[in-house]
Amino acid sequence: MTAILEIRNVTKLYGNELALDGLSVGLQANEYISLLGPSGSGKSTLLRIIAGFEKPDAGDIFLEGKSVAGVPAHKRGIGFVSQSFALFPHMSVFDNVAFGLRHREEEPVRDEGEITRRVNDMLDLVGLVDLGDRRISQISGGQKQRVALARTLVADPKIILLDEPLGALDANLRSRMRAELRRIRQQLGITFMHVTGNEQEALAMGDRVAVLDSGRLIQVADPDTVYNRPASARVARFLDCYNMFEGRCEDGERFIAGDTSFPCLANQNAQAGPGFYCVRFDKIRVAPASEAPQPGEVGVRATFITSEYSGPSVMYFFEGQGNKVLEVEYHLSHRQPEEFSLGGEYALLWSPGDALVYA
Amino acid sequence: MENRPALRSALAIYTMLFIGFLYAPFVVLGILSFQSGPEGGPQFPIIEWSTYWYEHIFGLTPPSRVAPLPIGEALVRSMTLAFVTMVTSTVLGTMTAQAFRRRFKGSGFVFYLVVLGMIVPGVLVGLGIALVANDLSIARAWWGTAFVTHVLYTFPFAFLVMLAIFNRFDKSIEEAAWSLGVPPIRTFRKVTFPLIFPGILSSMLFAFTLSYDEFPRTLFAAGADLTLPLAIYGTFSVEIHPNIFAFGVLTTLFSFSLLAVYGVLMAASVRSAKKIAIQEDIE
Repeated sequence: MTAILEIRNVTKLYGNELALDGLSVGLQANEYISLLGPSGSGKSTLLRIIAGFEKPDAGDIFLEGKSVAGVPAHKRGIGFVSQSFALFPHMSVFDNVAFGLRHREEEPVRDEGEITRRVNDMLDLVGLVDLGDRRISQISGGQKQRVALARTLVADPKIILLDEPLGALDANLRSRMRAELRRIRQQLGITFMHVTGNEQEALAMGDRVAVLDSGRLIQVADPDTVYNRPASARVARFLDCYNMFEGRCEDGERFIAGDTSFPCLANQNAQAGPGFYCVRFDKIRVAPASEAPQPGEVGVRATFITSEYSGPSVMYFFEGQGNKVLEVEYHLSHRQPEEFSLGGEYALLWSPGDALVYA
Repeated sequence: MENRPALRSALAIYTMLFIGFLYAPFVVLGILSFQSGPEGGPQFPIIEWSTYWYEHIFGLTPPSRVAPLPIGEALVRSMTLAFVTMVTSTVLGTMTAQAFRRRFKGSGFVFYLVVLGMIVPGVLVGLGIALVANDLSIARAWWGTAFVTHVLYTFPFAFLVMLAIFNRFDKSIEEAAWSLGVPPIRTFRKVTFPLIFPGILSSMLFAFTLSYDEFPRTLFAAGADLTLPLAIYGTFSVEIHPNIFAFGVLTTLFSFSLLAVYGVLMAASVRSAKKIAIQEDIE
């Protein structure tokens, strides 16, 4: 497969601050890639450069094999949906969606009948067919989001860039829009690049997830790999589902964190030196402090602080050595919720093979 | 505030004084314009209430020793000049403010250069223009040299108004239009312009009113044909009659009607664009 979009060594400076540091990535046709990164990691900058709103200081971008350096935004054929939706407040919903068809430079649609048909088809697709006459100030946040999407989709772009499109919506609406986006994408077969700071959104939406940190991609892989085998301790930290012990590995066999030591297995490929030992929240078993570990289990002692119930799962918070907060997640479909006594001492146990060692 | 009656009444008195000083001259002028004529002068008491001086302005009174105000042509000149100045300054101001949306090399310096036009003393600018025109053998005229000085003076005001408007303008709306394949110039016409229109109205109002009663710059730059403020000043040097007051009342009414038109247009424009480009509710 050929890359529909290829980003090669793109570098962007803001003053002396490096927003993008020689970033390279390719997008396949009809792929949905989600770009995960904390705020300030350069993810929005990357989208703005691809869209043509900003110029890279170095590097180049190739759209279907052709460089877009010097091609202005309106000639790139790349759709862009921003976090603020950026709808035209002086037009109706219908006119917002029709705007691109009517006024674009290449192949504008002159026939009002065709415009009406295409706009209504698109409003139908995003479920807003009755709201065409409304003004932008008269619709809700979720509806604005759909209008922004419909406005971009109707122009038939090769690629659509989504800049935290769900960021301004509440949690409920968010998950509904996620499902909607997936459906629309399957129906239309367009390449999407979706920027988000939310790890769940990134994992849920992407065929591939690209993790961005300080202007560099630190892992590009399918969601399963990113979640289960983060390429580095930094990726694991962004995923926010790992307890991370900082320490050092000795001889490639033992990982020393404070007073505790964990065994390292041969397939964990740990090198001697400083690093992180990571255990996923849901791989930990909580046992009374008095109980002896099962054979092949390792663990730490910790004090129970509090718990947080979230429906399908429950999070338990413990305080370990050096006031470190350790989190344990029980998926309630697999395990029963437990009552722990506040301030009580427990053993947090896991199988060494479930741990990830970055050293 | 509520529990400080002393402060409250002090502020109330201050406000009343302020309003008094603002409107008292106009009220006095208005009253004196109804002095009887042609024997009544520009002072109290009112001998007899009459609309004589209003009729005098329009030449409806029998000839008397008081010459009619030489303002007919001057009024047309001033209106024309103010209108052309308004259009020129607003277009220039909008374009300059548009340029300042991106920081460019030397933008700070250029900013002060532009704003200088409203800071330097008007008499000096007028005199300077007159001298330069003489040196270059350019005839001074209200539609030439005076027009240039008026644009110099009003352009910074128009520019600052538009700069403030653009500061609050959400650029992502234009970017959205570009990404739909709409070229920048059409985007400006179809998206940017309708949204900044209230600002453009304000800018036009500023430019028109400033130019309409501009005096010190025009004094030297206008040449032989006078604008309205110069013509009125010219009549003072002979003798002051209440016809000037009557005229003042009429022009003030005209200004108010201009303001009313501005208000109506503004309200319509704001209503049609409801929340404008700022979309603060979702940011």
